[in-house]
Amino acid sequence: MIKHKVFLTLFLSLSAVCGLFAAKPAPAAKKAASLPPAAVLGGVTAADMPYDVGGAVLLRWAVNPSDTPATTYTVYASSLQAGGWVEAESFASTAKTGKDIDLPFWAWDGSASEHAVKIELTNFFGEIKDGDVFHFKVAALENGKLVAESLPLDASTTSNWFRLDRLNNVVMLLLVTIVFFWAVSHAKRKGLFIRRIAGLDAIDEAIGRATEMGKPIYYVPGIGDMTMVSTIASTFILGEVAKKVAQYDTTIKVPHYNPVVMTVSKEVVKQAFLEAGRPDSFREDINQFISSDQFSYAASVDGMISREKPAACFFMGYFMAESLLLAEVGATTGAIQIAGTDSESQLPFFFTACDYTLIGEELYAAGAYLSKDPMLQSALKAQDFGKLVVMISVALGVILTAVGALMKWGAFTQTIADLFKAY
Amino acid sequence: MKLIKKTIPLAIVFVFGILTLLTYYVPHKHSVDFLETMNKWENIVTAFAFFLGLISLFYAHSTKISRKADGWGYSLFVFVGFLAIIIPAYISKGKNMNGAELTWMGWAFQYIYNPLSATMFAVLAFYIVSTAYKSFRIKSLQAFVLFVAAMFLILGNVPLGQIIWDKMLGWTGYNISQVVDWIMHVPAVAGKRGIMIGISIGAVVTALKIIFGIERQYLGKD
Amino acid sequence: MLKDKLNAVLKIDRRWIFLALTVVLFGAIIHPLGLLSKNIARDTQNAYEFMDKIPAGSFILLDLDYDPSTAPELSPQAMAVARHAFRNNLRVGVVTYSAGATGLIEQLFAVVPGEFKKEYGKDYVILPYQPNAVAVMTQMASDLYGIYDKDKDGKDTRSMPVMKGIQNYKNISLVVCIAGTSITDIWVAYVGDKYNVPFIAGVTAISQPGYGPYLQKKQMRGLLGGMKGAAEYEHLIKTPGKGSSGIDALSLAHVMVAALIIVSNIAMVILKYL
Repeated sequence: MIKHKVFLTLFLSLSAVCGLFAAKPAPAAKKAASLPPAAVLGGVTAADMPYDVGGAVLLRWAVNPSDTPATTYTVYASSLQAGGWVEAESFASTAKTGKDIDLPFWAWDGSASEHAVKIELTNFFGEIKDGDVFHFKVAALENGKLVAESLPLDASTTSNWFRLDRLNNVVMLLLVTIVFFWAVSHAKRKGLFIRRIAGLDAIDEAIGRATEMGKPIYYVPGIGDMTMVSTIASTFILGEVAKKVAQYDTTIKVPHYNPVVMTVSKEVVKQAFLEAGRPDSFREDINQFISSDQFSYAASVDGMISREKPAACFFMGYFMAESLLLAEVGATTGAIQIAGTDSESQLPFFFTACDYTLIGEELYAAGAYLSKDPMLQSALKAQDFGKLVVMISVALGVILTAVGALMKWGAFTQTIADLFKAY
Repeated sequence: MKLIKKTIPLAIVFVFGILTLLTYYVPHKHSVDFLETMNKWENIVTAFAFFLGLISLFYAHSTKISRKADGWGYSLFVFVGFLAIIIPAYISKGKNMNGAELTWMGWAFQYIYNPLSATMFAVLAFYIVSTAYKSFRIKSLQAFVLFVAAMFLILGNVPLGQIIWDKMLGWTGYNISQVVDWIMHVPAVAGKRGIMIGISIGAVVTALKIIFGIERQYLGKD
Repeated sequence: MLKDKLNAVLKIDRRWIFLALTVVLFGAIIHPLGLLSKNIARDTQNAYEFMDKIPAGSFILLDLDYDPSTAPELSPQAMAVARHAFRNNLRVGVVTYSAGATGLIEQLFAVVPGEFKKEYGKDYVILPYQPNAVAVMTQMASDLYGIYDKDKDGKDTRSMPVMKGIQNYKNISLVVCIAGTSITDIWVAYVGDKYNVPFIAGVTAISQPGYGPYLQKKQMRGLLGGMKGAAEYEHLIKTPGKGSSGIDALSLAHVMVAALIIVSNIAMVILKYL
């Protein structure tokens, strides 16, 4: 936290004293004898910009009440002991105050009565190491004419270890993690009620139908990669579906868009067949790579679906524009269709063309719902807790901000806004 | 076996999951360097996985052809398509243009790949129209609300719709763009935000489940 | 008798609808009506204004991530944005994360820079395709040359005048992403929010409604949606292009959909109450 008020006062007085000394004619000043003498701009401090990777310096000085609209400030930086000044920033006297630094109240105490300027040294001097010393000076100009200039200041930058501005985020994460562990550790003590999810209950029906009809099941894991939560959730569901498929001795086909997802799915299906006691039924070509091109993939899967007329189609994972192409073709073949995605823009298409659709978080919860593992089911409590926190925060935030705005409590409204902002 | 198949992978997931999470809160150069290295590794893994994909594709289709399975003729197209792009790409050294001239690969891209891809996306328009015809039927109050919103959006999206609105409903004093803006920026955003918040919380909890090894189906079960 | 006919209307074979749509679209393409959007969408206007205010000589990053499938909608957007950037003498760096886009980018930049007498290497640069977008985006936050030290032809980028003073996001005035994939969300989450880089997107009409929350929070400074967005941007920069010429077909198709929906509802009401 930069609460340097005492330090600032001390520095101000020191600078003032330095200013007195500097006012004495120095050898360098003689060169500029033809120019009118500029006053000394006192009270400027330069320090490392906090909470960043390094390479940036923060300069602060008090706003001068006698500045006019024609006053501008220019900040110079140099890596050399003498000379080598580079213009790093130039702005009007009303701009760049402590209020303009985008940091929350717990990490920054800037006010409108001081200027605060962040200088990104990497923009001017390339790569910078921690501890490299740089020199700065600030010039005040009136209609482009120099009226005051600070003495050169030294500062170095450091790579910081913590983003204090993200403290609100840390607190929220810790809270969710604690609730998560509490829920998981209490998992075995009591049963947990989970509302019925029709789409997941229909999986058995779909697989049963496929067995009766002697037709295959298509499981489409979407076009997401393995880093997407929806794709991970899709592999959970694939595991459960594959297990049932192995038990019923039906055929399943899993066409893939992403080769990494294919590799993972292969393992999941193999394991599911093993658990169902049918390792002999597992075939390598259950999981098949199609194409990493969105519409080539859609065209190919559409072709397979219309030729083989499966009894059931599952579309679980991340989908984009190919959602309707796949689901419509599936619907024309008369297959039972169950879809699930967290890509909201595609939900309407699945709703119209599929029999059941899982919305976003239902897809994430599907693994827990199907496996009936008490630990996994309990983790859903943490999800509910998160939603409760959001609901309360939204309601309280709206009321408090509205009250603050009505009563004109600027600082209060700002505090509320800071608390819920992502930095 | 359990050590290789379960314990070590779970330990890797835990350590790297926590470290990657920490990079969000630690701005230090070491943290940035770590993230960069991880990203490079991911790139390398993805590149190798692509080869696996290609092998899987060729294996599946060559088996189909050799067994003369149903629809094996389509499998031939996989190889024809592959060669139709790969050979010109090799001849043109991977370049589409040679100055202002199209190379062989450029030609294949522009006159084979372009129209095929565009056709697939265009099919979507036909499906949307037929789906809209079937699904916007007013069977309940909710369906009525959906119908009204859809009508406003359809009219507001194109100049002809704007002209029709001005002729028929211009007397209301409202511009169709204002109505569309309101629908898109108030009720639509509110609904979308709700879904987004639910999804984000679900994603956080799923991430925790994976990092702490509670959800491990993606590794195959015990 | 009437009931049977109405039932037939409700259960019409969808291929008749496909045929009707084909006729309408062909009609509009063969006989253009010359319609022009009177009202410019707020988000397009914001995108234009933000771009217009960027000082000449600034560097913008243009991510063109559409493949031939979405090109009819997105290519006119890309062309309009590139024209605007060159007209305002901005420096442009082009990146892509979908292999299918590389050919389209070359085609676009074979035409547009010439109109403004812009030189490759001095005023714009095309960087090579990279497969893993998230990794590249993160890398660009510290040192862009860690990934893009060579351009698409393998030339050294550091020595190019267009890249002078460009190290990372801090030196980039704006990122414009025109894409038909989820990469738009990735830009917002991994770059816009994290590194405070202004961001504008161009998306297909089908995915446009999903971006409202980003626009409200200014995580996106503007948005071009589909061919309509392209036509509006073309109107704003006063250079009509493919977006404007496609707007007639779009208009008629929209009106046809509205008419179909109304007809099906009238048929349903008659069946219910007669």
